[in-house]
Amino acid sequence: MHRFRSLALCCAALAGPAAAQDLTVVSWGGAYEAAQHAAMVAPFAQETGTQVEMVRYDGTAGALARRGASEGWDVIDMLTDQARVACAKGLLLELDPQALLGAEALADFAPAAPSRCAVPQNVYARVMAYDERAFLGVKPTRIEDFFDVERFPGGRAVQKSPDGILEWALMAEGVPPAQIYGLLSTDRGLRLAFRKLDTIRDHIVWWRTTDEPAQMLEDGRATMAVGYNGRFFDAAELGGAPIDVVWDGQIVGVEVWAIAATTDAPDAARAFVAQASSPEAMARLAERIPYGPARVSAYARIGSNPKTGTPMRAYLPNAPQHGARALVRDAAWYANTEELRARRFQAWLNEAEE
Amino acid sequence: MSKAAHSAARHPASRMLILTGTALVIGAAASLAAIALVELVSALNTWLLVAPKARVQWEQIHWLVVTATLLVPTVGGLLVGLAHRYLSPAGRPLGPPDVIRAVQFHTALPDGRSGLISTATAALSLGAGASVGQYGPMVYLGALIGGAARRLKWGVPNLAEIAISCGVAAAISTAFNAPIAGLVFAHEVVLRHYATQAFAPVTVASATGYVIANVVFDRPALFLVDFAGVAHGYEFALFAVLGLVVALAAVGFMRLLLWAGPACAQVIRRAELRPAAAGLVLGVTALALPDVLGIGTEVLRFATIEGAFGQGELVILIAAKIALTALCIGAGFSGGVFSPALLIGSLTGALFWMLVSGTGGVATSGVAVYAIGGMMAFASAVIGAPLTCILIVFELTRNYDVTIAAMVTVVFSNLVSHRLFGRSLFDVQLAGRGFDFSLGRDRARLAALRVLDLASEEAVTAQADEAPGAVAARLERRDWRQAFVTDGAGRLVGVFTPAAGEGAATVGVAARPASLVFHEDTDVASAMAQLRDFVGDAVPVTERSSGRYLGAVAEAAVVSAWVDQSERLREEENASL
Repeated sequence: MHRFRSLALCCAALAGPAAAQDLTVVSWGGAYEAAQHAAMVAPFAQETGTQVEMVRYDGTAGALARRGASEGWDVIDMLTDQARVACAKGLLLELDPQALLGAEALADFAPAAPSRCAVPQNVYARVMAYDERAFLGVKPTRIEDFFDVERFPGGRAVQKSPDGILEWALMAEGVPPAQIYGLLSTDRGLRLAFRKLDTIRDHIVWWRTTDEPAQMLEDGRATMAVGYNGRFFDAAELGGAPIDVVWDGQIVGVEVWAIAATTDAPDAARAFVAQASSPEAMARLAERIPYGPARVSAYARIGSNPKTGTPMRAYLPNAPQHGARALVRDAAWYANTEELRARRFQAWLNEAEE
Repeated sequence: MSKAAHSAARHPASRMLILTGTALVIGAAASLAAIALVELVSALNTWLLVAPKARVQWEQIHWLVVTATLLVPTVGGLLVGLAHRYLSPAGRPLGPPDVIRAVQFHTALPDGRSGLISTATAALSLGAGASVGQYGPMVYLGALIGGAARRLKWGVPNLAEIAISCGVAAAISTAFNAPIAGLVFAHEVVLRHYATQAFAPVTVASATGYVIANVVFDRPALFLVDFAGVAHGYEFALFAVLGLVVALAAVGFMRLLLWAGPACAQVIRRAELRPAAAGLVLGVTALALPDVLGIGTEVLRFATIEGAFGQGELVILIAAKIALTALCIGAGFSGGVFSPALLIGSLTGALFWMLVSGTGGVATSGVAVYAIGGMMAFASAVIGAPLTCILIVFELTRNYDVTIAAMVTVVFSNLVSHRLFGRSLFDVQLAGRGFDFSLGRDRARLAALRVLDLASEEAVTAQADEAPGAVAARLERRDWRQAFVTDGAGRLVGVFTPAAGEGAATVGVAARPASLVFHEDTDVASAMAQLRDFVGDAVPVTERSSGRYLGAVAEAAVVSAWVDQSERLREEENASL
């Protein structure tokens, strides 16, 4: 299977001008992008001779609409829900996963299968982390502690977006994960969530890019932060920062590869996505940054971090010792409620200014 | 009698195999059917924009949500009404009372077609967001599957009743993910005894339901709560008071529900249009108060969160939910009362907590335990099953402390509602149809036997103008001591005994008024009470309205019917296999 694909890539490389084209791969920057470069982009470039350039963006479908065509984006790393929005708006190329990957590989994907415009590449978690220096005695262990500024004083680094924090607000009210999205679908649920956010309003330090929360913990602007598990791992295990991750209430999401509708190198882009979706590539990524593979067969291949020698399986979001309370991000709900959540979030932000 | 003869022919081991096998098959089938019903309702809720999670995703197309809110319950109601009118021989939704009746009187359930239509209309009613419950239809569906065993002539006594109970237990076990509650519900509400012969197979069926729900489908517990324990001892007194308060609300709810049916019938003549009208009222209300739509899983959870509702909001929501549930069920939507009872009860519990803790300033251990206690206490008053409700709390929440607290609330609620209203809504509904269980199942069974059915064909009758001698000769031949004398119109004139007839011209003149007369509606239970002071062979039965003579019942026939029934009950309740 794999050999056949490599052969096809070689043929493509020899046969046409498509392979000679440059490829622009868009991702989120920082440690994540570096890991992707080492695990997927560099091997692909080496194998096919394609020049690959990496560009950084903020992860929104809006950015794709604004910058995609003018900057020549080809392959884009997206959140599942953003890919759904972009796909519905016609910003993405339809992939035909069956032809791209084959039926056998399609059955290997978990927890999410490839869709019309997107192929899952890794499983990440939005988690809470804290500055170990800030809490010398009792340490935070639960999502409830994020909203408890009396027991755990200090700044809270939160993404300036309704993503994730609304779920945590309800989780801290004792709502079990299975009911979070149902409750957030009601006006009452949103009101409750924002009421919970009110309790930490004066302590919030907003962040916009995903490498900020770890920095905020390091430089003392915040004592607790919302962020992606891979970034915290990078800062703590590789960078030696005094940061510890609380896995309780982690929000698990799936990151996908998609191809821009405006791509000028569709063949090379498809070849890249196919290769980046191989179990080998997924395992290489998970060794460099603890984002779990999106295919079952990749788990067995995950070894140690090449820099530190840390065995990486224990740091993946789905490691069993991370506890039972986890929420799987509902991508369809996210995609269809984006406008509503943004509107309510803005209204909540404005309340403070009045 | 024939059943006993059969059972004697069967070896106990083969009876055990039959019962266990039946329990496994029916348990598995009922469990799968229950899952299918839950999934169907949930899918309909999503497609029809009833579930909040579906509604919010279309929030930007406002007119669509408004139209769906108004049209879905209305059109759903119309379809339900038409289906009952034209497709169902029973012409109405079937539910737990029908199951109880079939099991208690060893009769068949209403016909299978009516049962299937009732299940389909329940799925439609629930799917369209009607304010009705899903557990009643679930119980009926389980019973329908179990009821199929009635056709099996395998020589096992009470097989049909046990099979129905197996179906019910498995359905509840699966739907609530609560095998112990399923088992107890089947015994407490449906069978009303705990004979080993029934207990073992029902347990097997309940466990089968649990295995299918948990091992095969991996369904989570329905209502997990975080609760560390009751903080203050005096709160147990509050739980008891909550039970009393909830019981009053439940009694009001049940009275309104019983009143709503006839009231709807008066306002709208055509039965098939009533659910549509109720659906429209529901839809209009839901525009302002979306919480009233559907089963209300979200509302149930909100009730356990402090500050999710304002005090006024709670009062309005409780009133609206009570009124709309009574309306939906009274108008003929197909569905149960249990889920709405859970919802109203939990809101009542939350309101009680708010008054005690907020207004009263009493320190408590949080709203959740009051909401859950209220929830189960209300439901227990409605279905008349305190043990089941206590166990459901345990299995739904998997929390021991909450269960102990809720137990107190449940029991006090039952105490009051039983005294003020009756054992359960089901029993009161059945009593309305002439099957009164308030004095026990033996009494109910005797009350269902008409003395007229025991009338002796041997009884001697005479025309009023016959000569005493001829009648006396007839009595002599048949070895009877009394003849029942009727006039030209067939009305009972009196009782003639040869000793009293000497010297009289006709038996009509000699007849003395009967010291005791039964009527066509006299049952064995009341007959037994009246026979206490009776002296004589037989009691005449006359038509209550006209006094027409219908037959005569020998005292011995009434007594042996009573003995037979008691015997049968004793056998059923003490059967080991």
